[in-house]
Amino acid sequence: MNNAKKIETWFDLFRILVAVLLAYVIALIILGIISDDPLYVIGQFITGPFSTFRRFGNILTTMIPIMFTGVCMCFVYAINKFNLVGEGAVNLGGCLSACVAIALSDKVPAWLLLIIVLVVGALAGMACSLIPALADQLFHADVCVVSLMMNYILLYITSYILKYRIKDPGSSITASYKWASSLKLGNLIPGTSVHFGFLIAIACVVIAAILFYKMSFGYRMRVVGMNPVFAKYIGMPVMATIILAQVIGGAFAGIGGTVQVIGMFQSYQWTSLTGYGFDGLMIAVLARKNPAFVPLSAFLIAYIRTGADIVSRTTDIPPEFVSIIQGIIIVLVAAEMFLSRFKSKLIFNSAKKALAQKEGKA
Amino acid sequence: MNVRLITSFGFAVLRLSTPLVFAALSAAICEKAGLFNMAAESMMLWGALIGVIVSGATHSALIGFLAAMAAGAVTGMLIWVATVKGKADLMLAQIAINLASSGGTIFLLFALTGEKSNSAVAIKSLALPKINIPGISAIPVVGKILSGQNILTYGAVVAAIVLSIFVFKSKTGHHIRAVGENPHAAESVGISVPKVYFLAWTIAGVLGGIGGAFMSMGYLTSFTKDMVAGRGYIGLCASSMVGGSPIGAMLCALIFGVADAVSNQLQLTNAPADLVLMMPYIVTIVVLVLLSVVKHGRATRKVKAKS
Amino acid sequence: MEALKMEHITKIYPNGFVANKDISFTVQQGEIHALVGENGAGKTTLMKVLFGMEQPQEGSIYVNEKKVNIKSPLEAISLGVGMVHQHFMLLPSMTVAQNVTLGMEPKKNGLVDAEKAIAMTQEMSDKYQFGLDARARVADLSVGLMQKVEILKALIRGAKVLILDEPTAVLTPQETRELFEQLKLLRDNGHSLIFISHKLEEVMELCNNVTVLRHGYCNGTHPIEELDAAKISRLMVGRDVVLKIEKDDPKPDKPVLEVKDLVCVNSEGKNAVDGVSFTIRSGEVVGIAGVEGNGQSFLSDAISGMIHYDSGSVKLNGQEVGGMKIKEIRQAGMSVIPEDRMTVGCVNDLSVRSNAIADRYDKKENMSGIFLNGKKQKEITEEMIKEFEISCDSQDEAIRFLSGGNIQKVVVAREFTSGANFVIANQPTRGVDVGTAEMIRKYLVRMTREKGIGSLLISADLNEVLEVSDRLFVMRQGKIVAAFPKANVVDVDVLGEYMLGIKTMTAEEMEGLL
Repeated sequence: MNNAKKIETWFDLFRILVAVLLAYVIALIILGIISDDPLYVIGQFITGPFSTFRRFGNILTTMIPIMFTGVCMCFVYAINKFNLVGEGAVNLGGCLSACVAIALSDKVPAWLLLIIVLVVGALAGMACSLIPALADQLFHADVCVVSLMMNYILLYITSYILKYRIKDPGSSITASYKWASSLKLGNLIPGTSVHFGFLIAIACVVIAAILFYKMSFGYRMRVVGMNPVFAKYIGMPVMATIILAQVIGGAFAGIGGTVQVIGMFQSYQWTSLTGYGFDGLMIAVLARKNPAFVPLSAFLIAYIRTGADIVSRTTDIPPEFVSIIQGIIIVLVAAEMFLSRFKSKLIFNSAKKALAQKEGKA
Repeated sequence: MNVRLITSFGFAVLRLSTPLVFAALSAAICEKAGLFNMAAESMMLWGALIGVIVSGATHSALIGFLAAMAAGAVTGMLIWVATVKGKADLMLAQIAINLASSGGTIFLLFALTGEKSNSAVAIKSLALPKINIPGISAIPVVGKILSGQNILTYGAVVAAIVLSIFVFKSKTGHHIRAVGENPHAAESVGISVPKVYFLAWTIAGVLGGIGGAFMSMGYLTSFTKDMVAGRGYIGLCASSMVGGSPIGAMLCALIFGVADAVSNQLQLTNAPADLVLMMPYIVTIVVLVLLSVVKHGRATRKVKAKS
Repeated sequence: MEALKMEHITKIYPNGFVANKDISFTVQQGEIHALVGENGAGKTTLMKVLFGMEQPQEGSIYVNEKKVNIKSPLEAISLGVGMVHQHFMLLPSMTVAQNVTLGMEPKKNGLVDAEKAIAMTQEMSDKYQFGLDARARVADLSVGLMQKVEILKALIRGAKVLILDEPTAVLTPQETRELFEQLKLLRDNGHSLIFISHKLEEVMELCNNVTVLRHGYCNGTHPIEELDAAKISRLMVGRDVVLKIEKDDPKPDKPVLEVKDLVCVNSEGKNAVDGVSFTIRSGEVVGIAGVEGNGQSFLSDAISGMIHYDSGSVKLNGQEVGGMKIKEIRQAGMSVIPEDRMTVGCVNDLSVRSNAIADRYDKKENMSGIFLNGKKQKEITEEMIKEFEISCDSQDEAIRFLSGGNIQKVVVAREFTSGANFVIANQPTRGVDVGTAEMIRKYLVRMTREKGIGSLLISADLNEVLEVSDRLFVMRQGKIVAAFPKANVVDVDVLGEYMLGIKTMTAEEMEGLL
């Protein structure tokens, strides 16, 4: 490999790191400005997540749902369709799983119920994702707008189900009836809140990675995403691939909802969107659409989120400031021109050096 | 009873349509320039927050309103910087900005007041005035609907007309449409495409900012988190229904306003609130799909007719 | 007076392609100057240099005998140089007046003075007898009128030198005649026109001087009186180096591709392919020569299933192709080397391997159960790399890092090893280095002789089409206008005359050859 190629290959990674770092620094500056005790707050934000074992566990717990949505967005992003329904799919997956769990609690064994609710979550997610995908492919309606509208609709549907169908009148908060405690995903690492959902998430990442890189569908999907004209010319079913990729992605988001609901709670309580879908988009962007990198990106996001949580708990600063960081990271990673001058300089310099060497030898 | 219902419903339609009209106009100017404005959401959110903060600080609704416009404009410019200067993907950049704005507004509110979801307690912000139109207010039913609205409701109509004249009659408007239709053609006669984009995003931002100001200084009198709630997208939909024509976009926004008003009215009944709240969004999707079908059908028919 | 002079223009693109080499020519005031040359002869580049869209490495430009430095189209316009692009730069939804005055709209009270814009436009149109209605919407105009809007755009900006890039390509004969009258009127008014065309009878009729470009070089400027169409054709269409490919006579066997009365309508409603019929048999290469844009791409796309054709039939090994999915067409035995390898022929960001196996990754023998068989894929790719001498660091390298020639080798390797018995090779050696081009041509011939495949070769490179093909057709305006039984004995001059429309064969003459 010559130098220019090497630089191109490594530059992507470098750019992502710089983008994350820059966003992080901006966040620190903001934190520093608004807090009365900047050093303490910043310290909490940076080192807090690693300060105790329990908090480190929180990073892993935070990773769980966003690994699912990250995988979901890898599929969607791989075929270049901004179907953002992952957000609503999490809610619907969680909600319908909860309904099934409540209905079937104590009627079927826990292991079977677990499988059933996961399937229900997956189906719910697939259905959510199918609607924008079809609207786009059959009717040429913008997939992004439709999916954003879908998210509101899904939120209201789930919130209706919660308030009117499965609400436990005995509960002091808006929560559904409880399901059998045997269904709640067991603890994975004692002393932390990490539950078995983490393993399910890792399994999903592995499955997605295999689908992406070891199976013909994944190959087709990547080709369609990168060059649909070529895909048509070589005889691939372009439209079917585009729809199927979104549906599979939706399934992962739906499962994510299920796992989050039965892993963290014993009743369904969501009355707003979770934001996991948008986290997923960022993770997919950071992972460069490669599911294998999802855990790493998710760890990074979860670390920032956990830091923000700690800050918000100890100082009252709302954790929403994380979304500013997210926005900055996405824009910087997406902006081709970001650091591009630096890149051409690198390539130019290395070319000059190579030339000088050649001349020196001659 | 019936008459009162009609007046209050009609009044609500206009009131609820107002932010949608501004969002639609914001999307329309972008559409004319060939841009897809998904970020009206952010422009409105910042307009709403900054309007409240500045009017609270200066005790002037007017200054607050101007600040809201400026806030929207800055949001628009940010998108321009990211997509034109930074060559970021337009969709991705707007999604990112929407995400950052949703959190950023909450965060700014907190940084200034310590509140996290509502500015009502902490900021004594001012509302924009309501206006009674002398002659019209006397007319039964119609007068009650048309008169006594917030100044920005009338402002929305004015904005649509002004924007329409700007787009179709002014030199700059011509250039914006030229860029939207064929950037190469515009460039070939010396029109700077990046400049036109900058202008379009800025105007879109101002309009979005006004829409936001209405949300927090008219519709409500405080900022609450995520108060725009998809209105930017609905405006986008309204604009694309008519290909970005300002007057048409305003009229389409009214349709969504009706859906909004119906859903508000139904909330007063026993119908489950959540299902009712869903309605405007469902209408948006249905309209968007129908519209795309029609548009696409027309395009293919055109090709066929030519052959 | 010299209205325009270009001197010693040399333009080398960053990829090393020499588009113009030391080209000089002069346009007098009040003349129509023809610029002729084959595709890729350098006409477009030269005009881009003149219009400020490209910067030359060497050479200078004089306008009105003053040396100028043109860095952008705007500067060209302000110097009085106007260009009518082949693809119109118009805004269909706006009126003629709005299009013509775009960017220089007259103002009144801060708004555009629409009436004045209309008056300005109408006056200009009437002066040159363009017959345009300034208030009409451009979308409602015929193509001929649209072109006049383009010319008006240049004139109203004060263009004295007007570049017309193949202006008649989109016109009907009547429109062309009308245009010529108006161009002559412009000339008589003291304008200088540069007329780029392939149509020699038009050049003969209209122009005062002819500058011929060939392969980036200038082949001289000649007064029209000294020329006739055949002479221009010889100056334009020539073989600098005669390429020889050793090959046995073909032994055509059963038909693999039968095209009958094929018609394809383009988006403007014209018949891009206009009733074409021919048969290709196994064991032979059938070549199609022709000036680009005469329906060759449509023909190739229609046969390969990329577009739906409007009538007629295409049979591949006896099976009707219309209505089949592309995958099915490929399974029925077709391979395609597409014209544009970067946008159609490969996926830039994927590896050499992923590009090489794109048509066979899901064949049963290349999978291990439900999984892709990486080992098998590597073997297949390795074989291709060896056989086609593809130079790359590794199979995993993204294909965009390869040279154009090597990318093309990957495409050719994939298409030739797919097991198809019919291959469309559309400009298979365009922009490829000499060595690779030779290899691809030899391979094409060898496959027909040894494996008995049938092949359709579409090429703008006359050397190639004459030497590689067995039978040869000439395509012009969507029709086959000539057919030759033995391509390598066809005289280039004669071929040029058919390509450029000086001659056309009758159906009887082509009988039995199609």
